[in-house]
Amino acid sequence: MRPWEWAFPPRGEHLEVIAAQPATDHGHPPILFVPGLGHGAWCYAEHWLGATAERGYPAYAMSFRGHGGSGGHTRLGRATTRTYLHDLMQVIASLPAPPVLVAHSMAALPARLALARYPAPAGVLLAPVPAGGLRQSLTNQFRRRPAATMRTLVGGTAEFTAVDLFADLDAATAARHLSRLGRESPLAQYELMVPHRIEPIDSPVLVVGAEADRVLAPADLDRAAAELHTSAVMVPGGHDMMLDRSWGEVLTTVLDWIDLHGTAAGAALPGATKLPPVAQALEGRPP
Amino acid sequence: MTAAGRPNPNDGIVDRPGAVAVIGAGPHGISALKSLLAHGIPADGFDRADGVGGNWRFGAPTSRVYESTHLISSKPFTQFPDFPMPDSYPDYPSHRHVLTYFERYAQHFGVGERYLFDTEVVDVRAADSTTGSAFGGPRWDVTIRRSGTGPEVTLRYDAVVLANGHNWFPKTPHYPGLESFAGEVLHSADYKSADQLRGRRVLVVGAGNTGCDIAVESAQNADATYHSTRRAYWYNPKYALGRPSDQVADRLLALRLPIRVRRGLYSLMHKAIVGDYTRYGLRHPDHAFYETHPVVNQNLIYYIGHGDIEPRGDVDTFDADGATFADGSRIDVDLVIFATGYLARFDFLADPAVLDIRDGKPHLGLQMASPTHPNLWLSGLIQPDSGQWAIAHWQAETIAEFLSLAAHDPTRAGAIHRDIVQATGHRFSGGADYKDSTRHYYEIAHQDYLLALQEVLATLRGARDPLPRGTTVGLRV
Repeated sequence: MRPWEWAFPPRGEHLEVIAAQPATDHGHPPILFVPGLGHGAWCYAEHWLGATAERGYPAYAMSFRGHGGSGGHTRLGRATTRTYLHDLMQVIASLPAPPVLVAHSMAALPARLALARYPAPAGVLLAPVPAGGLRQSLTNQFRRRPAATMRTLVGGTAEFTAVDLFADLDAATAARHLSRLGRESPLAQYELMVPHRIEPIDSPVLVVGAEADRVLAPADLDRAAAELHTSAVMVPGGHDMMLDRSWGEVLTTVLDWIDLHGTAAGAALPGATKLPPVAQALEGRPP
Repeated sequence: MTAAGRPNPNDGIVDRPGAVAVIGAGPHGISALKSLLAHGIPADGFDRADGVGGNWRFGAPTSRVYESTHLISSKPFTQFPDFPMPDSYPDYPSHRHVLTYFERYAQHFGVGERYLFDTEVVDVRAADSTTGSAFGGPRWDVTIRRSGTGPEVTLRYDAVVLANGHNWFPKTPHYPGLESFAGEVLHSADYKSADQLRGRRVLVVGAGNTGCDIAVESAQNADATYHSTRRAYWYNPKYALGRPSDQVADRLLALRLPIRVRRGLYSLMHKAIVGDYTRYGLRHPDHAFYETHPVVNQNLIYYIGHGDIEPRGDVDTFDADGATFADGSRIDVDLVIFATGYLARFDFLADPAVLDIRDGKPHLGLQMASPTHPNLWLSGLIQPDSGQWAIAHWQAETIAEFLSLAAHDPTRAGAIHRDIVQATGHRFSGGADYKDSTRHYYEIAHQDYLLALQEVLATLRGARDPLPRGTTVGLRV
């Protein structure tokens, strides 16, 4: 049961959703892109949203409260994974049909909770944080930049440099993206370090890892994949694979998989035989 | 009442192999149909009204909501857990919000297009066929027609989910002299708006949530309002400690406090907010908290305190101009509204034994499972002490999960069904002792009932996908 959810529902906030619609309706499910720590819908709006719509999928990107163009920046400090789950479910329920969820990094936690309760056609987790909590990634980060890591541990927002997030991006573009990073809730950051309850997921799930990821350590990526009884598919690029130079290649991998699994019968609400044509008989006319 | 002897020629039957018929497009019907689709089971739905919503489709023939109806439980538990109400809705949405919510749910999950609307089910019976159902048990013949009239068509299904509701057929008590009463007599089923009260002297009978709502509305609009109640109830506020009071109650559940402590805290809260019931001319409730279905009304006491509602006891007799009460007092009224509840009806069932209907009440395992057939289920025969549709969702998941197991492993499903049926009659009361009344036939404590569903669902999922040793399903309703 979830009595805490019933007793303490998060307060509603304005949530930013950016959409890109395909020129013609192919009957594909919508895809909802969910950004990670400190990121907003903007990181998907840069390249992926338009390219996804061109592949025939209605594409949506959201920002959690206190992120990007959403409201609630002043109350961000109280947000937890459960708050983000609330925001994610609010956006899902506002879409015209069940979306394929594509979640990056920290957003894997609320996305996995959403997938456990919501019949999404499929889920894609990009460089996902394991539900068991970050280990190797933290140690690596501490070795590389002890002072910055300490600041994070006392409540500061995790600090990223261009080297952390991008494998191959010119300095000006990288700086432009970095300048858009926002604050993160310390409570949500602490939750990345502690184990979470794992709930069963029925939808097919793809785990994607970036070959040059300097944020999520390979060991943590493998643990996240193992929790989902799968192994990670590796793609080129750094942690922010939707912004790095190889974004197109990564998106192709993701959408090719969604082509196969996100629209298969049984995964989505099946397009099985619909109502028989009895309407005429009910009106007393020969069928 | 059954439709016995209905001609049922096999040759005219539309066969729907492997499919499930869902009767009703209220919250329990649409969630059942959606869960079936999500489990890859084809399903068709039928409803008498011209769209989804059931009781919440204001103005539809079986809708019993009135112009001013609002939820009496707040959003978090009332909503479907996989389709929350928008943050823009208030704590206690109105019936208009609720209908929009159901319509969006049906559209989102592609459920609406699976329904035949304006279509009523006139007969449901076990098919006279040699082949059995894909889910075990007989196949089912479902006969439909356009609501009210027209030629009938029979379809053959492999399973049936009844979600036709139990709050639409009015239950009206008999009082001596009522037939001689010269004024108007209404059941709350036919109460739609305050216009029906204006300028009149009104007697409202019944202290359920509807009776209290109408009494309050009458206090605001009628010339005089009398409120007759047989039993003294606790009137719960909609807000306590600055929050919807059911959220406060769920805090106590989350803390796993035993029922005695929860009762004590409730009693304290009531002392702080209402105080002594007898000061208002009410009787002191004759039972402990949790022993009757909660009445949630913040305004009743307020209007009694303003003298706009006069509380009375049980009605003894009616005469041409008014009513006499058990205490001997007499009043003149020209409108009597019976807010005396509803009875469950399954007139379309050819054989009531499939639901073990005795004393007008079905006897079902988990209040859902037919004792005789593993492919006949009933969703919605519950009256929770909290919101309804979170439970509707988990009932739907249980049915869909059971049927998908039954299609693949009938032996295992049969054993689980036997266990479910064996527990028929268990009251999910959370430790309370419900007062005996048709009002509490279907009463459940939401936490108790959900835990039971969670256990069955975990068993069903475990049977479908055997888990590695030492791991658990980890399902949380």
